[in-house]
Parts: sequence; C-alpha cells; structure tokens
Amino acid sequence: MTLLVVATYPVVDGPVLDGQVSLEDDGGIVIGGTRVPSSQGTSAMLGAAVQVATHLGTPVPYALVAGDIGRGDGTRHVYERLAEVATRVRPSVIAFHYMQPVMALMRRAIDQLAEVAPGALLVADAGGMYAAKAAGLANRFELMTPDVGELGFLADPDVTHPAYVSHYLFGNEGFDPIALAARARATGGSARVLLIKGVRDHIALDGAIAEVVDEPCVPELEAIGGTGDTVTGLASAFLAAGFPTVDAARCACLANREAGRAMGATPAMHASDVVAALPGILADNLCRWGGACVV
Amino acid sequence: MRLFGRKDADPSPGAEEALGLFLFEAVNDAIAAERALKTAGYGVHLVAPPPHLRAGCDLSVALERVEHVGAERVLAEAGVHVREWVNDAEGTASVCDLVTSVDFGDWLMVRAGNMKIVVEKATGVIVNTSGGGCPDIPYLNLALVGKRLDEVPRPKDLGYTLCGLMLDRAYVEVRALLPGGEVA
Repeated sequence: MTLLVVATYPVVDGPVLDGQVSLEDDGGIVIGGTRVPSSQGTSAMLGAAVQVATHLGTPVPYALVAGDIGRGDGTRHVYERLAEVATRVRPSVIAFHYMQPVMALMRRAIDQLAEVAPGALLVADAGGMYAAKAAGLANRFELMTPDVGELGFLADPDVTHPAYVSHYLFGNEGFDPIALAARARATGGSARVLLIKGVRDHIALDGAIAEVVDEPCVPELEAIGGTGDTVTGLASAFLAAGFPTVDAARCACLANREAGRAMGATPAMHASDVVAALPGILADNLCRWGGACVV
Repeated sequence: MRLFGRKDADPSPGAEEALGLFLFEAVNDAIAAERALKTAGYGVHLVAPPPHLRAGCDLSVALERVEHVGAERVLAEAGVHVREWVNDAEGTASVCDLVTSVDFGDWLMVRAGNMKIVVEKATGVIVNTSGGGCPDIPYLNLALVGKRLDEVPRPKDLGYTLCGLMLDRAYVEVRALLPGGEVA
C-alpha cells in the first residue's frame, strides 16, 4: 500500500534523495531526513499525499527525487536509481511528477518497472505525463491528471509537449472534455482513467466521462500555483490506500475544492494553505464521500 | 475571461518555404540562439522539430537555408552550442500562442497556453505562477513569486524548457496589460 513518488525538486545540483516523506509543522516537506524547498510542484503534491496517509493511517509516501531546475540532470539521476528503489520499496502505486520530459528515459523506466514492480499502478502528471504520452506509453498508466490544456495535448497524437497543442484542442474556449477524452483514449494518448482538472473537474474511464465534480466552485484555486499538484497527490494517496481509481479521483477533486472553500482562497494564497486545510476537510467529509471511515 | 492573443496556427511553418532548422541539446540553447540571431538581424522563429527529430520537449530555430552558414558563425561567436543543422523544416509545429486573462479584482491572471502568472495590480508583485510540468517551473516559482514584475529577470532568461518559454509569454503579456509595465 505504499505510494512511490518519482520527481525532482528545484535546487541546482541537489543530490538524489530517497526516503519516507514527512510534513513539518510549518508546512515544510522532508524526504529521508532532508528538507526540500516548498513551492508549487512536487512539494505540494507530497504534502497532500502525506495528509491523506496520516488521516487514513496508511503508510506514508516514499519519494525518489533529485535537484533539477530544468536542465534534466536531476531527472537522469532519478531514472538511474528507479529500478533499485522500486525493488526495495515494493510500491503499490508509482507516480511520476515534475521531471524533464525525455521519451527514451521514460521508455526504459517503464520496461524496468515491468520487471521489478509488475503489479504497481502507474500515475503520471506534469513532465512525467508529457514523457509518457510523447513516448507512446500512456496506455500503460492507470491514472493521469491533466488540466484542460494538457488534455488537448493528450488528444493530439502529433505533439510531444503542451506548448505545441493546436488552438482547436486547447481548453479555454468551446472546451469539450467528452470528445477530447474519447479522442485521447482512442489515439493511445490516455491512461485508463483521466482526472481532468478545470472549472468543472471531469473523470474519464476508458475514454468516457464517469464523474463530474463542480462543487464547491472556487475559481481562485486556478490562480494558486500547485493546486493541481495537490489534486494529484490526493488522488495518488487514495489510490495507494486501496480506493478504486475513479473513487480516488472523485474524492481528490472534492477534497481540494473543499479545502479551497474552507481557507477562503484568494489568488495570493499558496498550495501550502490547501495542504494545511486538508486534515479538517478529510476528517469532516471523507467518510461520506468515499466510505473510508476512520474509527 | 478575455481573449486577446490569438492567431491562426501554422501547423508546419517550414513546409512552403526554403527553411532549415538548427537543432539543440536543450531548450535554453534554442532560446539563446533566437536572441543572438535576431540581434544579428536574421529572421528566425522558434518551432518544434519534426516528429522524427524529437527527443522530448524540444525547441528548434528555423531560418532561411541560404543564411545558415552565416548564422552558424554568429552562434559560434555567441557560444551557443548547436547539435545539428538540417536542410528541411517540413513537419515542424509552431508554439501555441493562445493568451488569455482573468480579472480577479485586486489581482490579474494571464495564461499563455497552460502556463499562468498572477500579479497584484496595485503593486505589480507576482503572487503566483503555475501550470506546466517541467522542472524549471517550481524553480521559476521560487525565483519570481513575491517580487515585482520590473525587478525580476524574464522567465525565458531563467528557465530552461518550453514551459519556461510559455511562462515568459504570460509575463510579457501581463506587463503589457499593467500601466507602465511593457517589456522593451
């Protein structure tokens, strides 16, 4: 029931860290005893995942990360260690997050994981998702968590990065998640389940919309860096706790939105505010949402 | 929501012209090359290489084939490492130029593609950046948030990836929208 998060952290030449993740009182993230900078990105994802594990009493997340500011060096170091760490940790869920999208490295990693962690469910967001889709490996994944622009990327078989998505597939106008999710699945650009983050969150199963979550509506969450990352952290942790994937995605959307409402979100707040609000939200609602009742 | 930066996308800008491509190991090399070549007077644009030449989130520079020797000299003098020149730009794709904004009252959010920047109107302080998934995005978030627009380097000078380049487009647009903020 362990979640392994494979990612980077924003420090020049930062060393490889692997270990259990903890959340300090001030919101800081510690990986294997080393504190990493709090930002949007993987620290926000890990913070949310820790809150779920703490609430449910499941194993805390494990992370394999290295410093990378976009040059790809840390990403390469993480991939070099992945097979060894996965063999040791025996994760039930492996989530790829902020990484340099290098197709060859992702292909090798998926081949290795098929050997050393054949039963693990694969999750991808951010650069991990870009690499998986661009490499033609999306259908090996259980869950991907795109935003509306990234859904256009998944649905466009000819592009290798969301920066190249055609206007007509982009999510801001005339957005049709039903058609795009189906197209992404049909063209091999989608995981089995998609959690599509937006003003209305859509959850697609095998290319068809299975759930829509649109309450509470907190538009300010889009402006806060890292609120998509907290959704991914929540969903990954629920999945590792044994929730069915669609339920994990739905509970993640609901918890994130409720946290935004409870904290009175403004565009100047941060993902750490969402993470700090989660314990109360989970305690008050998760039993009702997902049947996971802590006694 | 306001939409103000849309052009017809050209799916293959090199298909009808005698263009070639400089390919690079890293996106920031392509950005540096574009800057050096434009400064030297060349007409260039940043594009995605054709699918068979891509390794991941690649960015290349397209220019007229006949100019490539001189341009290569400019890049060498500027210290920009070129991986390869190819005499064919067919199959390239343009970077998404869809830019939108959302007014949150005291704050303005601008999106470029799926990258976002949020600024407090009264002070010009960047309060949030988000979107994208490359490792320079959390790094740019740490470097930019809490600082005024006019006191930070441009994201494309700090970042290394296409995500950073798209954030730079949002940065330029939000400066244009706020009084006295336009980028030279």
